[in-house]
Amino acid sequence: MNILGLDDDELISCVGCGLCLPHCPTYRVTGLEIASPRGRIAAMRAVETGVAPIDAPFVDAMQECVQCRGCEAACPSGVPFGHLMEDTRAALELNAASRPTALAARVRRGLEWIGYRVVLPNHRVLIALSWLLLVAQRLHLVPKRFGPQRFGPPLLTRSSLMTKLDVSSGALGDAWLFTGCVMDAWQRPTHLAALQVLQATGLRVAVPGRGGDCCGALHEHAGRRAEAQHLARKVMQSMPGDAPIVVDSAGCGAALKQYGRLLGTEAATDFSRRVFDFSEFVVQRGVPATRATGRTVVVQDPCHLRHVQKSHMAVRSLLSDGYELVDTDDDGLCCGAGGAYSVLQPDLSREIAMRKSAALRAAGADRPGVLVCSANPGCAMQLTQAGFSVQHPAELLRDALKEGPR
Amino acid sequence: MCFPRSASDAAAAVRAARVHGVPYVARGSGTGLAGGATPLDDALVIVTTQMNRVLEVDIDERIAIVEPGVLNLDLSRHTRPQGLHYAPDPSSQQACSIGGNVGTNAGGPHCLSSGVTSAHVLMVEAVLPTGDIAELGSLAPDTPGYDLRGAFVGSEGTMGICTKVAVRLMPNPPLVRTMLLDFMSVEAAGATVSAMIAAGVVPAALEMMDAEITRAVEDFVGAGYPRDAAAVLLCEIDGLIEGVDYQVSEVRRIAQSHGARSVRIAQTEAERQLLWKGRKSAFGAIARIAPDYYLHDAVVPRTKLVQVLESVYAIARAEQLTMMNVFHAGDGNLHPLIVFDSREPGIWERVHEAGSRILHTCIDAGGVLSGEHGVGMEKRDLMPLQFSSDDLAAQGRLVDAFDPDGLANPRKVLPHGWRCGEVQQRGGTIPDDTWI
Ligand SMILES: Cc1cc2nc3c(=O)[nH]c(=O)nc-3n(C[C@H](O)[C@H](O)[C@H](O)COP(=O)(O)OP(=O)(O)OC[C@H]3O[C@@H](n4cnc5c(N)ncnc54)[C@H](O)[C@@H]3O)c2cc1C
Ligand code: SF4
Ligand code: SF4
Repeated sequence: MNILGLDDDELISCVGCGLCLPHCPTYRVTGLEIASPRGRIAAMRAVETGVAPIDAPFVDAMQECVQCRGCEAACPSGVPFGHLMEDTRAALELNAASRPTALAARVRRGLEWIGYRVVLPNHRVLIALSWLLLVAQRLHLVPKRFGPQRFGPPLLTRSSLMTKLDVSSGALGDAWLFTGCVMDAWQRPTHLAALQVLQATGLRVAVPGRGGDCCGALHEHAGRRAEAQHLARKVMQSMPGDAPIVVDSAGCGAALKQYGRLLGTEAATDFSRRVFDFSEFVVQRGVPATRATGRTVVVQDPCHLRHVQKSHMAVRSLLSDGYELVDTDDDGLCCGAGGAYSVLQPDLSREIAMRKSAALRAAGADRPGVLVCSANPGCAMQLTQAGFSVQHPAELLRDALKEGPR
Repeated sequence: MCFPRSASDAAAAVRAARVHGVPYVARGSGTGLAGGATPLDDALVIVTTQMNRVLEVDIDERIAIVEPGVLNLDLSRHTRPQGLHYAPDPSSQQACSIGGNVGTNAGGPHCLSSGVTSAHVLMVEAVLPTGDIAELGSLAPDTPGYDLRGAFVGSEGTMGICTKVAVRLMPNPPLVRTMLLDFMSVEAAGATVSAMIAAGVVPAALEMMDAEITRAVEDFVGAGYPRDAAAVLLCEIDGLIEGVDYQVSEVRRIAQSHGARSVRIAQTEAERQLLWKGRKSAFGAIARIAPDYYLHDAVVPRTKLVQVLESVYAIARAEQLTMMNVFHAGDGNLHPLIVFDSREPGIWERVHEAGSRILHTCIDAGGVLSGEHGVGMEKRDLMPLQFSSDDLAAQGRLVDAFDPDGLANPRKVLPHGWRCGEVQQRGGTIPDDTWI
């Protein structure tokens, strides 16, 4: 039987050793086997072979996974957990049995549909909604989240939404800077910093042309594969030629690097080869001269940079001249942001974030003047709300440039 | 399944199980390799993952008091700022729990110089099968009276559920040198081990991996393990600078006189960590070769290492199975590993046949059944190979004293028939898989 359509060899490659358990954020906060990679794989096997049905507990177990892929990086057997989970989600999305029937659940699905289909892929809609959210926040219409640590949508600023990237879009340059959906709406100053650094290395930079609005990572993670594929094709069209594509969001970068598998075409594989994380790219090109700022930075490794792209060490090479770098002692455990996870699974996300906060504090990240660096917009929002001063490596590097930005 | 958060929760679970005559099994991280935590007879599984606090660290006395669900490596991490660590380091240390370590009396690479779990556990608080909470042992270095703590450590959940552990912490050594020795034959590597021990070198750890496992591990970690070696030894020396330098040169001399191709010394802490990560991932990494594995855990006298290894490889050849070896060479704790694909028809029979022949070989050479993984379900029926009826009866009486109802992890460790009331309870039938 092949109910979920998973790759048999991938599925049986788990030997059940449990070495991944401590690297799984949901296992760490719950202690439940079913919330662990080993438990999830066992559940997939049971369903795939017809031993167990696709029922609500199974669907929950799959949806509670952050898809951080910490387990994959830790697994000595090389179990491709990311594939297994993405394929399972895609199968569940197609499987009517997993559709919730209660009214509240249907409303929620409807909202998700609007988010995935209307807002994320249409940049103007997203920007317009972001302005609305900003105004609502100013008028205190959006309740602040409860508890000592607030989690929820970030506090938007006018200057962020007003930031202009002064480059041509769609025109060929030496390199593309991929801008994406949420990040471009909410964290445009990061793009500006990335752009300034790239320009400081002497590059002419362009941003994607029409259609390159959203990389589709959130869609793929949610199992909305057809939509993800559609967006991927549009993104590829928006950045033609063979100039390298620089991505300053770890999550988007990981997605773009996996278009080869998502679309299964040679063109997509070739496209993926052109994709670089911002730090990876700048380190390869040669880091521009920086001055020692005397400031301390605790490095947070976004999961999709560390476990998927495996280019987290570049962040350290990028910043080690300008800053005193400190690592956390948690093997890069997830912060719980997980793309849309913080919205879809707020309780688990919050607990995971508390754990991460403790690890950051142990590294001194809450001391006055100490910064946290994160190369992913979702993590940055999550950690900002946990009370840390978070900056992107591009911003930190720009601020330490000897020459200053042009 | 239940997830106690305190000793009284666990005691309530045990009492409830007892009232209803339901068996129960303690479970930590489930990394055990002998099936000890596998529930039989619809047993209630009492999982300790939510009892995961380090309760107290006494730096002056070098003692930590922890709940059983604390992961082994997390404890050493916790005490790193104080320059202390918890010495027993099973290769699964990042994932396994202290409670599970107590349950199996776990060993690990560094137990060569510092001793296995039992040597580091001062006191165990346990929910006994009667439902009472008792403290076995004490914080004093040598508790007067019978060593019930010693009986409990390694009892694999058959004497109750440990709910708190006081462990000894060790100071981190001032200097550590990790060496990678590369050999063209397994015999040469084995002979080097024997020669080192004979020359009085006491490494902190001494581990061996053969050709296939070395390649699988290298594919995962990329630590620079030689892909074409027939065997490698990972040897760690620690202590004061002068002593370490001398021992390192001794190891180099002995290895080279036994034909080592190269001797590499890790230059940085990161390099050293990566080498260890390779060794500690070995069991997992074998899935890169075949999806299933069957692992043994016998101990043989170190002088017979080479001879036993030869027989073990010969058995595998005779059964046409792929065999690998990765083990704690310093204490003669072999882990012969048969890798296979269970989808192949008839394969299980050959794997079992080979396994049983390997264990016979080890015991004939004067070895023992299990070095560190415990007996559990897996080796239960092989116990008579090593123990006489009198031995087994005595062990049965010991467990009975702790667990008169026979509900604590039943049908583990001792083969059927040695526990009081066992025959009556199961209606006099002998289970299919019983060794008679
Ligand atoms: C890759 C790998 C490498 C390994 N390397 C080593 C090694 O080098 N040395 C070694 O000794 N082992 C090794 N093991 C085996 C295993 O990790 C150890 O036996 C470990 O001690 C089990 O801990 P656990 O928390 O996973 O316990 P579990 O597997 O959950 O349980 C093991 C046994 O202990 C009992 N138990 C668990 N918790 C308690 C408790 N609170 N009170 C009483 N009994 C309890 C269970 O009932 C069971 O019988 C390895 C395993 C793997 C997968
Ligand atoms: S996913 Fe990998 S690390 Fe986790 S239990 Fe399976 S084989 Fe072991
Ligand atoms: S992807 Fe992350 S959350 Fe999901 S099972 Fe793996 S480690 Fe756990």
